[in-house]
Amino acid sequence: MRRPPLPTVSDPLPAEFRAMLPALLGSRGRVDAARVERLRTRRALLSQSGTFVGHRRYERGDDLRHLDWAAYARTGELFTKRLQEEDRRAATVVVDLSPSMLAGTPPRRRGALQLAAVLGALMLARVDGVSVVAAGGGQQLARFAGVGQLPALLEHLATLPVSAPADGDPAQAAALVLQGEHLGRVHWVSDFAAPTGFAAPLAALRRRGIRVTGWLPTVVDDEAPAVGGFVRLLDPETGEELHVPIDEPLQRALAAELLRLQREQAQLFAQVGSSLWRWPVPSAGARLPDYLPIVTACSR
Amino acid sequence: MTLAHPEWLWALLALPLLWWLSRPPRPRRHLWTAHLAQWQAALSALRRRPPRGAPLRFLLLALALVAAALAAGGATLPGAPGPRRLLVLFDGSASMAARDADGRSAFERARARLRERLAAVPPHVAVTLLRLGGPMLRRYDAAARAGMDLGAPDGALVVDPGLLARELAAGGADADGDAPVLWTLTDGQGQRALPTVGALDTFPTVGANAALLDVRLDDRWPLPALRLTVEAVAFAPGAAPIELQALVEGAVVATAPQRRAAPSGQRETFVFELQRAPEGGALRVAVSLPDLAPDGDLLPADDAREVLLPPLPAPRIAVLGDQDAGPFVEVAAEALAEEVGGSVVPVDTGDEVGLLLVDGGVVAVPPGRARALTFGTDLDGRREPEPWQAPAGIDWAREHPLTRGLDLSELRVERAFHDLLPAGEAFLWADGPDGPTPLAVVVDGPQPSVHFAFRLRDANLPLLAAFPQLLRRAFVQSHGAAALPVWAGAPPPPGEQDLTAPATAPDRPLPPFGREDRELGGWLVLAGLCALALRAWVR
Repeated sequence: MRRPPLPTVSDPLPAEFRAMLPALLGSRGRVDAARVERLRTRRALLSQSGTFVGHRRYERGDDLRHLDWAAYARTGELFTKRLQEEDRRAATVVVDLSPSMLAGTPPRRRGALQLAAVLGALMLARVDGVSVVAAGGGQQLARFAGVGQLPALLEHLATLPVSAPADGDPAQAAALVLQGEHLGRVHWVSDFAAPTGFAAPLAALRRRGIRVTGWLPTVVDDEAPAVGGFVRLLDPETGEELHVPIDEPLQRALAAELLRLQREQAQLFAQVGSSLWRWPVPSAGARLPDYLPIVTACSR
Repeated sequence: MTLAHPEWLWALLALPLLWWLSRPPRPRRHLWTAHLAQWQAALSALRRRPPRGAPLRFLLLALALVAAALAAGGATLPGAPGPRRLLVLFDGSASMAARDADGRSAFERARARLRERLAAVPPHVAVTLLRLGGPMLRRYDAAARAGMDLGAPDGALVVDPGLLARELAAGGADADGDAPVLWTLTDGQGQRALPTVGALDTFPTVGANAALLDVRLDDRWPLPALRLTVEAVAFAPGAAPIELQALVEGAVVATAPQRRAAPSGQRETFVFELQRAPEGGALRVAVSLPDLAPDGDLLPADDAREVLLPPLPAPRIAVLGDQDAGPFVEVAAEALAEEVGGSVVPVDTGDEVGLLLVDGGVVAVPPGRARALTFGTDLDGRREPEPWQAPAGIDWAREHPLTRGLDLSELRVERAFHDLLPAGEAFLWADGPDGPTPLAVVVDGPQPSVHFAFRLRDANLPLLAAFPQLLRRAFVQSHGAAALPVWAGAPPPPGEQDLTAPATAPDRPLPPFGREDRELGGWLVLAGLCALALRAWVR
């Protein structure tokens, strides 16, 4: 049976979405935690690298390389050295461009690119710069600084290609992140469809003291089958396919499996001391309330 | 394997269609998903497998189609070439009754061998059995294989088995060129040489034998005198003479056996002058070899014959003559009584008489139902007979039992009434205006009667020398079959008595037979059905 072509996302960042972004960035009053977040971001950035500015007590998950063993020898307690980073006000957005992101109704890739755009816009508006890491894309690492580069950021995201199946490896994305000079907090946008593949890269980032926030744009298919009847299932990542007559028992069994996947994804990020945010991809249009949860999550 | 209708192989072109039909259904919708692993896990949790092609099911379906096509095409396994017909020449002649030391006759041993060998002959071989000797019997297939109803050893070999085998082997091939296999079972007696073609099984029995060749009975019924002439022969190995004894016993006055030494194979004649018992009965004539043991005669079947003698009558002769009858009828009655040893009795005694002698007149005698001898007698009196004056050209039947050997050339008849004769077999006639006209007839029936068309006084018949004999024969004729001796069985066949020098030859086994073409239709249909049944269980 001939394989149908991969679904396409023609215009992931439409004009109405771009027009909605300034209103989203200006929603300070409705996002109470914006200032707090900015300060927390600064503190976090200061703790990454640079000039020594003080100590803080060791917390579980801190990079062991930053432990002050002299202080431990003097006091008998663990302290982590706080360093002032040269570019303290930066963040990194990792966008998953693998073919698996094309699945879903609406396509998860559109939600991922819009999510990256919102995150990038917030970073441009609230910190000094943002790095976009697109594993498998044409320009795999791009840096943007200042709100003035928001159009360039949006254009960069809109033109990112779909990576080859082998290029969407999480380890490769993590390696690209580590190559960057100004990292800041890493926001990893992906479907995390195979959680075990992310465990090692997240742990590597964690060992480097990089804090990672996972963003998972959810679609309807993540909770239950979107259709019924006799369906040909296709995996855009591997090309594997499965012919399945969908009935009610199978729907229940699949929902249980998807729930198990969600638990595995949450457990993955909990093990590395990070958080995973799920954001439902809007079905159509660009309404401001649909994107406010992103702002809220960034403020925490 | 060969096919009678190979055009059915075109049905195999349906195999691609079956392959296409056996493919699993195709979903009309497709869905891209990043959770294929979860779908597979859900199916596993429900112990389900996605629909997929089943090569084994297609293979079984294809097997059923191939089997059906081959069955419709008339698939057969070619058999092995070889003879398909067997012709058995079975010697059933009288000499086959000769018994060996175990007491089994050659006939019984041959029939046992026949059943034993034919049981191993393939069923497709057409078996025909010809019994030679005695009655010609033919048996086919199952009856031949079972050796059923072959009768008993009897008769002589009128056909030389060797010659017959050669003729059959030379011209017995059918339209397909398949020549029959010949198999001869014989004892070799009465043959110069055994068959040289085909299979051969011999059952020779060599030894002594005494046999009756002929028994002639000179019967003088109703008189008790009897002459028996016995022709016999004895065969024994060696050149020394052998003692041969002939014995007559039964319904005769006892007589001594006769013995004489005779060379082997020489015909001997024994004459017995006998006096039969008045009550009649069975008379047995037998020959034997008294110098040998009781079982020294290998073929006892040809040793004896038996004849059933009728009882002697009580010849009471009654006479009826009209007023014009002369003394001839009385004289004739007296002469007949003297000839047959009887007496003349009055008509009105009411006793049963042996013969009623009537000359002229009108007497109600039913022809063929009363022992009567009439001369110019009106049997019903319903018409006035027309006299035939001096019939000329008188002639008689030379071979008739009444007139055989008699001379009636001097017979002269002055007047005859041929209208008085009932319907019957004429043995005396004269030239009439319409050709030969009967002057005397015999009417057959329960009690035959003899009727002449003239009275005794109108002819010179009483004066002829043949008249007393004619009267006696008429008396015997009137008693019909009751006066005749009855022989039991047939005389021994010639050429079956000499058991001393049978023709011999080494036995030859039956050749291997061909194997029949084997129809595979039934097996193929069964295989196809099994494949379909198995396919119902395969997922």
